[in-house]
Amino acid sequence: MNTVNLTINGKLVQAEKGSTIMEVALANGIKIPHLCYEKGLSIAGSCRLCMVKIKGRPGMEAACTTEVVEKMKVITSDEEIDEARKLIVELILSEHKHDCLVCESNGQCELQDLAYELGIEKIRFPVSKSIEPTEDSSQVILKDPNKCILCGRCVRACAEITVQRVLDFAARGSGTFLISGLDQPLVDTDCVSCGACIQTCPTGALTEKLARFQGRSWEFRKVQTICPYCGVGCQIELNIKNDKIVKVYGVEEGPDNKGHLCVKGRFGFDYVHHKDRLTTPLIKHNGKFEEASWDGALNLVATKFKELKDKYGSDALAGLSSAKCTNEENYLFQKFIRICFGTNNVDHCARLCHASTVAGLSRAFGSGAMTNSIWEFEKADVILVTGSNTTETHPVIGNYFKHLAAYNGTKLIVVDPRAIELTEYAEIWLRQKSGTDVAWINGLMNVIINEGLYNKEFVENRTENFDEFRKVVSKYTPGKVEKITGIPEEKLIAAARMYGKADRGSIVFAMGITQHTTGTDNVLSLANLAMLCGNVGREGTGVNPLRGQNNVQGACDLGALPDVYPGYQKVSKAQVRENFETTWGVKLPPKEGLTVVEIIDAASKGEIKGLYIMGENPMLSDPNLNHVREGLENLDFLVVQDIFLTETAELADVVLPGVSFAEKEGTFTNTCRRIQLLHKAIPPIGKSREDWKIIMEISKRMGYPMAYHSPGEIMDEIASLTPIYGGVHFDRLGGQGLQWPCPSREHPGTPYLHKDKFTRGKGLFTPVDYIPPAELPDEEYPFLLSTGRVLYHFHTGSLSRRSKPLDGIAPEGFLEISPQDAKKLRIKNNDWVRVSSRRGKLKVKVKITHHVDKGVVFMTFHFAESAANLLTSDALDPVAKIPEYKVSAVKIERI
Amino acid sequence: MIKELKSPLRVVLENYGRINPESIEEYIAQDGYEAVGKVLREMRPEQVLSEIKASGLQGRGGAAFPTGLKWEFTAKAKDAPKYIICNADEGEPGTFKDRAILEGDPHKIIEGMIIAGYAVGAHYGYIYIRGEYLLSINRFNKALKQAREHRFLGEDVFGSGFNFQIEIHQGAGSYVCGEETALMESLEGKRGNPRFKPPFPPSSGLWGKPTLINNVETLANIAPIILKGSDWFRTFGTKKCPGTKVYAISGHVKEAGLIEAPMGITLREIIIDYAQGMRDSKFKMAQVGGTAGAILGEDMLDVPLDYASLGEKGLVLGSGAILVMDETTCALDMLECFLNFFKRESCGKCIPCRVGTEKLLELATAISRGEGKEDDIDLMLHTAKVMQKTSLCALGQSLILPISTTLKYSREEVTEHIKGRCPTGVCKI
Amino acid sequence: MKLRNKEKDVIALLNKAQRENKHNYITEDKLKLTAQEAGLSYSEVYGVATFYSLFSLKPRGEYVIQVCDSGPCHLMGSKSIFKVLEKELKIKVGETTADGRFTLEEVSCLGICNEAPAMMINEKVCGNLTPQKIREILRELRKKK
Ligand SMILES: Cc1cc2nc3c(=O)[nH]c(=O)nc-3n(C[C@H](O)[C@H](O)[C@H](O)COP(=O)(O)O)c2cc1C
Ligand code: SF4
Ligand code: SF4
Ligand code: SF4
Ligand code: SF4
Ligand code: FES
Repeated sequence: MNTVNLTINGKLVQAEKGSTIMEVALANGIKIPHLCYEKGLSIAGSCRLCMVKIKGRPGMEAACTTEVVEKMKVITSDEEIDEARKLIVELILSEHKHDCLVCESNGQCELQDLAYELGIEKIRFPVSKSIEPTEDSSQVILKDPNKCILCGRCVRACAEITVQRVLDFAARGSGTFLISGLDQPLVDTDCVSCGACIQTCPTGALTEKLARFQGRSWEFRKVQTICPYCGVGCQIELNIKNDKIVKVYGVEEGPDNKGHLCVKGRFGFDYVHHKDRLTTPLIKHNGKFEEASWDGALNLVATKFKELKDKYGSDALAGLSSAKCTNEENYLFQKFIRICFGTNNVDHCARLCHASTVAGLSRAFGSGAMTNSIWEFEKADVILVTGSNTTETHPVIGNYFKHLAAYNGTKLIVVDPRAIELTEYAEIWLRQKSGTDVAWINGLMNVIINEGLYNKEFVENRTENFDEFRKVVSKYTPGKVEKITGIPEEKLIAAARMYGKADRGSIVFAMGITQHTTGTDNVLSLANLAMLCGNVGREGTGVNPLRGQNNVQGACDLGALPDVYPGYQKVSKAQVRENFETTWGVKLPPKEGLTVVEIIDAASKGEIKGLYIMGENPMLSDPNLNHVREGLENLDFLVVQDIFLTETAELADVVLPGVSFAEKEGTFTNTCRRIQLLHKAIPPIGKSREDWKIIMEISKRMGYPMAYHSPGEIMDEIASLTPIYGGVHFDRLGGQGLQWPCPSREHPGTPYLHKDKFTRGKGLFTPVDYIPPAELPDEEYPFLLSTGRVLYHFHTGSLSRRSKPLDGIAPEGFLEISPQDAKKLRIKNNDWVRVSSRRGKLKVKVKITHHVDKGVVFMTFHFAESAANLLTSDALDPVAKIPEYKVSAVKIERI
Repeated sequence: MIKELKSPLRVVLENYGRINPESIEEYIAQDGYEAVGKVLREMRPEQVLSEIKASGLQGRGGAAFPTGLKWEFTAKAKDAPKYIICNADEGEPGTFKDRAILEGDPHKIIEGMIIAGYAVGAHYGYIYIRGEYLLSINRFNKALKQAREHRFLGEDVFGSGFNFQIEIHQGAGSYVCGEETALMESLEGKRGNPRFKPPFPPSSGLWGKPTLINNVETLANIAPIILKGSDWFRTFGTKKCPGTKVYAISGHVKEAGLIEAPMGITLREIIIDYAQGMRDSKFKMAQVGGTAGAILGEDMLDVPLDYASLGEKGLVLGSGAILVMDETTCALDMLECFLNFFKRESCGKCIPCRVGTEKLLELATAISRGEGKEDDIDLMLHTAKVMQKTSLCALGQSLILPISTTLKYSREEVTEHIKGRCPTGVCKI
Repeated sequence: MKLRNKEKDVIALLNKAQRENKHNYITEDKLKLTAQEAGLSYSEVYGVATFYSLFSLKPRGEYVIQVCDSGPCHLMGSKSIFKVLEKELKIKVGETTADGRFTLEEVSCLGICNEAPAMMINEKVCGNLTPQKIREILRELRKKK
């Protein structure tokens, strides 16, 4: 019996065993006053407002802490209960002078509502007169202790959701007060500005600093949409006044974020209204941009591209699509390039992050995406995280890992050359030398096989090529692996046992695995490891690449790639091509196109003459920036469509102003294949236009009219051509969205892949040998440079650096260096140094930290002032053509 | 050495003052560790449980929960490991019996803990001693060392295969940490906030594991019960409350100190027979059970001081502290003192108690300064009643008792203050 | 390792830190160190350190005089004990003498109610206090270097 029957106020209700009266009441629409309870947080039982009576039991009990039992009869309100609640609220109100007049929470304050509902006209107790100063050191949070009722929700949110444990109570009794850190200003603590504390605070004690005096709760128009930053795809609610976004909340029902957000999602939206926004098309005359009319700009674009196509042929043109744009826009973009340019030279930045994932996983499993869902991580016994600084790059998932390690007993194995935050929560941390991933993964498998820890049944029934693979792995003894990777034998063995023995093991990785010349090999190795232990096709298992950009998954899915049409259907397959030709009504080029880095190369060689870039910034994101500049400057005609005049746009001949996520409709597909709906929240800024409309205009002018009335219509066409999106239609995407594959209208979507059968049939083991990185430190360039991201910025910073709070928190880039090396070079924190590689040089400030090992330095690539990609190597993975951002050799000089 | 008033019988205090507490040999000479030997050699855990149950022993920490039953719940809990905790946080004002036992006969507690561990299937015990009791901590430390040396603690005690360890945890100044769940939070290294119950410690206690927590005096009764039997134990005290009780007497009596007497002795007997009567002036009232206890007036001098008899009257015996006050005492001044204690010691977790204790003290202080209103008295009573019904733990729930009983006997005296006069002249108006 | 594996020891660690300090308090450095050792965050350690009345985060005198003002001591005259001490030391409750030798505090019951009124000086308990006795005790302490 897992359900119990009880009555609440005489109403018969059913509930799951083990639930509390509060949960049952709320689920049945019965209101019980409460302040300390909040769904998703642990239970405190401290406000005592939820006291109810239970027939047959003396006195009152707290609804939030009392479990329901069969035949329980609950009374949630009577004269005595109401009077007790009233007195308690009066006590709270006497603790401080509550001033609702200018309180940001006026109208959405749970205390105010309670006082009203209980009809409190007068406070019987003397009201305290002392007034505490507010604390505003944080860029984003305003703390007003006078409004704090010590409910502890923020403390629990910070400890349980973000797992930063910045907040707590100090002193005791009536002297209790909320602190951050050692009673320090927030800015001096470990606060990561996620705002979980603000979202949960029932009163005006914690509020959004920048929203102060910007609008009252009842003035806001609320629009639900998707965070524009990363691949987690958090659902957000925009609060808008006068077409301006004032604040953002996490949507509690969001399937992957459950109300939680990171600093970017919650506070980084102000770029939408930034003064730098492009509001009109620009055409360059004599090296200077001049404002132009849409007609003028569009005509020029169409004419120029037609000219180049006629003169040099289709393959002299290329397009770079955008992982920031919607699925519908990506679909249109590749369709446009393939039809109007007549070439498959279309790619986007996924090339730079996860091309090797798609290549590797497609080969091993038949599908190049995250095998499982984000929420399933809680089912895993062991999570192996490698090459992912999850807490900074996918904060909501990273914090979830911390939560699982701290509260769920989930064991984390972290394999990373840097001492990232997750290593502090890991049971085992393996610190490998950069670029030696195949070796340690083979080493793990060597131990697992030798100790008989692998899943023989799974290997037997569901995979092929085991024997070949086994031969290679048998060479990677722990001793040999230690020599290559620097990982001590015992640690490797311990990790192998931990993963090998787990019933459910999940592998998580990101660019630390993919951005290598051996990126595809690395991914194949991880796939081998998962198959070896039978960790594919079940909840809480799998091989899970965390995708970077908000819609990089979608951009790939929708065929913004040179070798595949939407749904990973091969361009080279005649049958596939014919299908698209029929629907689109044109002849399509059969030859696979060029990838990002190849396009740039071809441009510098003069083979590509015209380039159309939508929402990408290769001038910061691509490796070997000097070479990129050369390439772009060598073009005859460059069109950039963006919302800001990026480093790349500055080189363009024509700039077309697109719109931000807030100004358009469409869908994004998040890292776990979830297709979610974007709602238009505000009209386009200035004369800017939705990107899909711009593409239609150019297409029309190049002789292929497109006539969609809405993104929904585009999705219908996508569904008809793309089996994995076959059942995806806008009317089905409310709330939870849909996870592909979703082949038909009736299909509920697929939380995890390869359940009984791999997409390709059997899982394929691939023997992989270790190959050293293309460029290793030597005498001239003695340091190994690795690049990555920080929490507060995104990609090339074109959005996040235009957000006041984000840029305020992290205004500049650093070179991270170990204390040992710093000492050797005689440099101190904040000293300026020159970093140079064979490709370029830059100046940057130094941060000395244990996070990097000696001999290794680390930089982010967000900052144009110190653009790390001036240094990086454009050596490519031979299969996926992904550049080796994670390893290049540099030298460092004091200046 | 605490003054021990001449007691007719000794169960808990049998060795108190008679042996050198720092010598395990002297303890052994008084049949020390015999009970552990008997239990480990001759009894199955269930037999121990039934013996304790049969004795009718009730928890001496204040709540008087039947000890045998608590042991049985813990024994039956499925989870492992299990823990034993000895609650030696004695913070109830006017109480100093646990200190006496710890300082005077520490091995008796070790013995009680080992037996409890065996009975419920726990191998690890903690004793939480309040930080102010440094002598107790030192003595107990020595006793533990000796017991380990004699292999009463450690692996394979008495060759029985049973392992048991005890560790001391020192408190750091907090009354509420005597509350069992707050104590566990504190032991775990957190702020001493009580947890909501259920779950109760026998099913989910220290680190969420089944935990048996008993008061020092409770555990001091175990070895005698095992050695002499539950029938012998039941020859003391009343039917409902068997055994003896250690009462701590303070205040305006000639001789303050400890007595061990059969449960059910009266206040009059205690004051006259043991404490040698009142010191200077006539008896006015007494507070029984510590600061959270009730005020008893003259009419209560002959009520038996045991859990059941007091319980019937809505009063409590609590820790057994007795504070005797004579006619020079101002009832309101004392009430203010009690409220000040609660305000200091409230943990602040739940709203009714955190703010309630503060506001009650504010109201009482205003009255004692002659700034009160007649309504304030009723507001105090009403607030305390709401606190009783809604507070998270027994601290906030118990303020009603001193307030309501003070007002029962001395409402007029309190009202006089509002009119501008302190009848005893204690309060400065 | 941020998993709270050694959380249990936090009170003992704080206790040690305070005992080792000449001014009977826990320094900020020690708080931070304790947080690291016990696997707690700063706020958690601060929360614990300020919850318990025996801990101080402010420098105190060489001798911390803690006078009980709970029921039995109050009844037996602790108020006059405070008065004498305040007068002798020329400080109020909660303050430290200018020479840094004495701090006066109010505490809850010390468990020697049979000798009320009582107080504790550092780790030593003194009962049956009278104004003369207090003056004597202070004189002794002042003599010590
Ligand atoms: C505020 C408060 C303080 C308490 N202090 C103590 C104490 O100092 N010592 C004690 O043994 N029990 C104390 N208790 C009772 C304990 O919660 C618990 O009931 C007792 O330790 C159980 O042991 P017993 O069954 O042996 O009495 C206190 C309870 C409350 C509510
Ligand atoms: S913003 Fe996030 S990290 Fe900072 S205090 Fe609030 S919950 Fe904690
Ligand atoms: S700041 Fe808000 S959430 Fe935090 S304790 Fe105070 S009222 Fe509760
Ligand atoms: S950036 Fe990523 S983790 Fe942060 S709120 Fe947006 S989607 Fe969520
Ligand atoms: S009743 Fe008082 S001591 Fe008990 S939990 Fe509430 S605030 Fe803390
Ligand atoms: S909601 Fe139950 S006590 Fe606060």
